Amino acid sequence: MDKLLVSPSPHLHTKTSTKSLMRDVVIALLPAVVVSVLFYGWSELLILGVSVASCVLLEYVITRYLLKKPCSVGDFSAVVTGILLALNLPSTTPWWIVFIGAVVAIGVAKMTFGGLGQNLFNPAIVGRVFLLISFPAQMTDWTRPQGFIGGGLDALSGATPLGLAKEGGVAAVEGLDYMDMLFYNIGGSAGELSAIALLIGFVYLLVRKVIRPYITLSILATVAVFSGIFWAIDPMTYTDPLFNLLTGGLLLGSIFMATDYVTSPMSNWGGVIFGVGIGIITMLIRYFGAYPEGVSFAILIMNSVVPLINKVCHAKKYGR
Amino acid sequence: MMKTFSIGGIHPSDSKISKDCKIEVLPVPSKVFISVAQHLGAPATPVVKVGDQVKVGQVIAEPAGFISAYVHSSVSGTVKSVGPRKDLAGNNMTHIEIDVEGDEWIEEADLSDTLITAIPEDNKAILEKIKMCGVVGLGGATFPAHVKLCPPPGKKADCLILNGAECEPYLTSDYRIMLERSKEIVVGAAIMKQVLGGCPAVIGIEENKPEAIKAMTAAVAELQKTAKGYDGISVMTLKKKYPQGGEKQLIDAVMGRQVKSMGLPIDVGAVVQNVATSLAVYEAVQKNIPLITNVLTVTGDCLPLEKQHNYKFRIGMPLSYIAEVAGGVPAEAAKIISGGPMMGKAIANMDATTVKGSSSLLYLTAEQTVRGVESACIRCGKCAEACPMGLEPFLLNKYARNNMMDELEENAIQDCIECGCCLYSCPANIPLLDIIRLAKGDVIRIIRGRVQQGKK
Repeated sequence: MDKLLVSPSPHLHTKTSTKSLMRDVVIALLPAVVVSVLFYGWSELLILGVSVASCVLLEYVITRYLLKKPCSVGDFSAVVTGILLALNLPSTTPWWIVFIGAVVAIGVAKMTFGGLGQNLFNPAIVGRVFLLISFPAQMTDWTRPQGFIGGGLDALSGATPLGLAKEGGVAAVEGLDYMDMLFYNIGGSAGELSAIALLIGFVYLLVRKVIRPYITLSILATVAVFSGIFWAIDPMTYTDPLFNLLTGGLLLGSIFMATDYVTSPMSNWGGVIFGVGIGIITMLIRYFGAYPEGVSFAILIMNSVVPLINKVCHAKKYGR
Repeated sequence: MMKTFSIGGIHPSDSKISKDCKIEVLPVPSKVFISVAQHLGAPATPVVKVGDQVKVGQVIAEPAGFISAYVHSSVSGTVKSVGPRKDLAGNNMTHIEIDVEGDEWIEEADLSDTLITAIPEDNKAILEKIKMCGVVGLGGATFPAHVKLCPPPGKKADCLILNGAECEPYLTSDYRIMLERSKEIVVGAAIMKQVLGGCPAVIGIEENKPEAIKAMTAAVAELQKTAKGYDGISVMTLKKKYPQGGEKQLIDAVMGRQVKSMGLPIDVGAVVQNVATSLAVYEAVQKNIPLITNVLTVTGDCLPLEKQHNYKFRIGMPLSYIAEVAGGVPAEAAKIISGGPMMGKAIANMDATTVKGSSSLLYLTAEQTVRGVESACIRCGKCAEACPMGLEPFLLNKYARNNMMDELEENAIQDCIECGCCLYSCPANIPLLDIIRLAKGDVIRIIRGRVQQGKK
């Protein structure tokens, strides 16, 4: 003890770091990852591998050689983007399309804005939407590859429940068993397979205090109320609330993508406004839009108004 | 349900390692150096000169303004020098050096252990005693106690809050006095409550100190049974959350009222005093003993249990002397804190001496205290969630780095209490409070300047 450290207070610091938060998100995604690999087999494993590897590699190359900034790969954020992108794709996506998605997600949506913390839009969703518009055929190819378990489950292969509902109305999805959807959903992007797996991740994120529940719950509540009203008026035309909660990317989007720190509002009330907006836009697209599913578009649209929400919504200050 | 403050707050590990160490009296060293700046406000003016003989408890410096306090000699002996010496931050301040000879107290001091429960009737005399004995707030801010106990005309105290929260990790001095001097603290509370016009008094203690809650509750009950003037005193258990002991937070927790920005607690009818201040009031009023002693904790994760201590010290003792008596500075200590780890000051100079408000020698290891490398803000909002004033540190940080003074004032940077919750919780290691603290000083200077211009 020759020299004493001197610095201003506080002298202690939480053990939570950017890295530990991102690692927690990865852990929360694991149930969904495991379920998707079990049911979709080798092809899903390949997509996950390509997606995560290219996201991490691109982030490394861009920060190191293009931006010449300290390398930020160690913080796990590129891993999160990689897993989310993979879970947002059909399990039959060719590897080179996955790679293009990673280039758009990391290169365009994240790094051109200045890297972690600066991007306006959620990188994984930008990647997915870019692919959806550029490769519509491959991005809506819902044939189910052979998985490690449950090979005979593809009763509805060829279309997602939301796609069926868009094409054939309520009658087309009448026979669906909601219990099946809860545990291993039918058709859709890899991460949409099991509602339970996603909810386990949600509970983990809440318990570890990684996210606050306001955004997710307000999205789900809005979707339930919105579809509930339409369903009550005309159950022959509009799908019911439970169907809307369990299908498509709603859970994946509301739990893991809308809650992205960087692209969501800072305050709790801001989060509620953000969530209600996502819920309404999602349902407008599902009921009245050209696409069967609208969670990605809804999140992107609401991402763009986050700076405005942050300007209006502030925390309640003490004594004011 | 247990009460706590309504906005923000964090839960650091409380690390009260030294909580079972009884208070020990430190032997008097051969020499003390007593600072004339032991309180918030103007440093006191020395009234002794080299060669003077002083007794324990004798005034050696007088207040130099309304917000200032008397300083007394903590030893008997000869004044050796009056001049500049470095304080714990390394800044020069006038100290009075006294060579210790014997231990002769001023005559009026009552050094017996007898508990005096009868409260004097003359409030003016009580206030005068508190002032003459140099009692200052011992919760950290060292604000002169008698000033707080005289509400300005038109303001009335609705509640006296005794702060026994001790929400800073590691510190156990308040805990120990609540166990060992409970009755004296309650007598002090009764005195202050009477001076304030008989408002109720609430002793707020956090749930993690069940023994202190028990001891204080028992002391209140016994005094209410055996003496007059103790009605309306109660103990309130508070939920553990930092910074519960912050004055504004404690008022919110206990009374459910919030002090307006730039306002004073008395504006909402609150007067907050630390339990240690209450003890000092007891000793001043009932025993005629000026504030020359206090209790400090010697602790840290790198100290073995037998080297953890709660010491009753006298003001003017060199910190290095206390560390020596306690068994030496541990080799792993990278930083030594005076005060708690959240708001205390890092000691730059171990030759600095104890002051009235000293509360600890806390040894932190490099692993505990060296800050991580700053990385990009990920906009997680954890700083805003933690801020007990409801501020948005991430926003203030951005404005401060761009010198946007109007925006800083609009977003209430001047309300920051510097509790450290934002910097503590930032996962990206952004030095939020460092930056906010600097900018807050600038904004407050601008506000003050504007107020003065308005007066002209």
